Amino acid sequence: MIQTKGLSMRFADGTAIHYQDLTFEQGRSYALLGASGCGKTTLLNMIAGVLRPSEGEILIDGENVVDWPQRRRDHFRIHEIGYIFQDFKLLEEMTVRDNIDIVRLEGVDTRGADALLERLGIQRLKKRRVRSLSGGEKQRVAIARALIKAPRIVLADEPTGNLNFEVGSAVMDQLLENLNGGTLIAVTHDDRLAPRFDCVLDMNQIARGEVSA
Amino acid sequence: MIRFALKHMATRRARIALTALSIVVSAGVALLAYNVSTQVSEGIIGGASRYDLIIGPAGSSTQLAMNTLFFTDQPLGTIPYTLVDDLMETGMVNEAVPFSMGDSYNDSPVVGTTPALLTDKPLKEGEMFAESMEAVIGCEVASNYGLKVGDSLITSHGLSGGGAEHAASPLTVTGILARTNSAFDRAVFTPCATIWVLHSHEEEDEEHEEEDEGAHAHEEGEICAVLVRCKSVGDYTALSNHYKSDANLLAINPNTVLREVLENVDLSRTIVYALCAVVLVMNLLVISVIAALNLYDQRREIALMRLIGVSMGRINQLYLLQNAIIGLAAVGLSLLSAHLILWVVRGFVAGMGISLNALHVYGLEWAILAVVFAVSTLPTMLMTMSMSRHDPVEGGKRK
Repeated sequence: MIQTKGLSMRFADGTAIHYQDLTFEQGRSYALLGASGCGKTTLLNMIAGVLRPSEGEILIDGENVVDWPQRRRDHFRIHEIGYIFQDFKLLEEMTVRDNIDIVRLEGVDTRGADALLERLGIQRLKKRRVRSLSGGEKQRVAIARALIKAPRIVLADEPTGNLNFEVGSAVMDQLLENLNGGTLIAVTHDDRLAPRFDCVLDMNQIARGEVSA
Repeated sequence: MIRFALKHMATRRARIALTALSIVVSAGVALLAYNVSTQVSEGIIGGASRYDLIIGPAGSSTQLAMNTLFFTDQPLGTIPYTLVDDLMETGMVNEAVPFSMGDSYNDSPVVGTTPALLTDKPLKEGEMFAESMEAVIGCEVASNYGLKVGDSLITSHGLSGGGAEHAASPLTVTGILARTNSAFDRAVFTPCATIWVLHSHEEEDEEHEEEDEGAHAHEEGEICAVLVRCKSVGDYTALSNHYKSDANLLAINPNTVLREVLENVDLSRTIVYALCAVVLVMNLLVISVIAALNLYDQRREIALMRLIGVSMGRINQLYLLQNAIIGLAAVGLSLLSAHLILWVVRGFVAGMGISLNALHVYGLEWAILAVVFAVSTLPTMLMTMSMSRHDPVEGGKRK
């Protein structure tokens, strides 16, 4: 279970975002809907340990991850969190399989990669360089890299943002089908995808922006 | 990690090849320059150590030394063989070794002498020549022309090869010298009498009248020089002064002459080393720029790896490993290419009477390679340290 308490983030330009307290149950899927700039990605980055909040706590199974040292947060992110980025963040010059194997650098077991690629329908592409793939294929590769570790938490930042609705729907369905009990927190601005999630959170209500003088 | 590192490197083949080429060129030039200059110096020093005095016809000191010690250049002329007996009769010398040269076997000089010239040169196989028309050959002569003990070889007139052959008077190989890494490896040794016999046949046939190259060494009872080991410094001084006073003769101390030659070699070596240093510095700059460009381009990749949770330490390891692989491969190639070039150019140096051993690696060469390796990895090490300080994941510390 993930809980946030009194969470706020101040940026160097003087802006700040304050969040209502949130709870994400294990094994459920959450859609974060809201306008651009309302703090959706910032929330994901704070949960992932990429950003450290200015105030507040992020409790995962009762432990405040904000206080963890950098190394422990890195370890948690590579082993327990599957992060899917809007711009995929793949090594374009390397193959699909190499992009999945990158997590082996930190000891993650990728022996199930072929089966996962098969389930995602991209097994035939595993020796292809990422730069030669379409947007939908790249997004599936990003999903495969996130899910190969069977993470407890899957964070997805606009996972269908670069795809048309049909392809995006198919990708989202594949993501949901392969969660294996993990918690999914997905940022999306496409409310047509909302019915697929267990819970939809309106970030316009949850996050409050502030600009310091 | 090695497998991933290799695959990751394969995505930047062109830059890696350029980096490796820079290292191979700079290290290879340094190794080649050091090895050749050291072997040449050692060869010159080694050739000079045994004799105190060399007596030959009047002429150039350097020519006399180079001809008698390294079998290069033309003999200055001839002197009577009786000089050897005269020297022995003085009781002031331990050794007076006749030296005669004027014929060749392919491109190897044929030296008329006595077994005394080969005193400190062990035989690899066979035995020392005893009679005229017998010969002991250097190891490279044996390997280059597939000669073995008992084989015959036909010499030709003149030192450059291609002269009229002494086909009627073949020499028989009685022994092969062990490798000496000196001019002895590429020469044929035979009694002085052989040269006189060949020359007498030559006169009978009147075949070589128009040829003048080394022909002066062929008169019966004449030789080109005498190599002398004196009993004492006083004896050396007395003999040296005595023969220097004869206008028809030249008496030199080979060590003094070769020291002058070495001074020129040392000056050349200093210039070569300075050029090597310039090449090394230039290549360090090239490698630094390439490493900087690589890491600049790789900032995105590093940020990507950090975002998915790969630790900065692991990323540093990855890039350092890649750099180490490139560095090790490049210095290995440098060593290989330098000694390959050494093997190719040894023929040119052989003309100076020095036999280069392409397999000989000096301790300092390993040191040069270690320095080049360290220098090639330094830019990446500094860059990765710099990247560590700008960790994209550290950007959001609690304010």
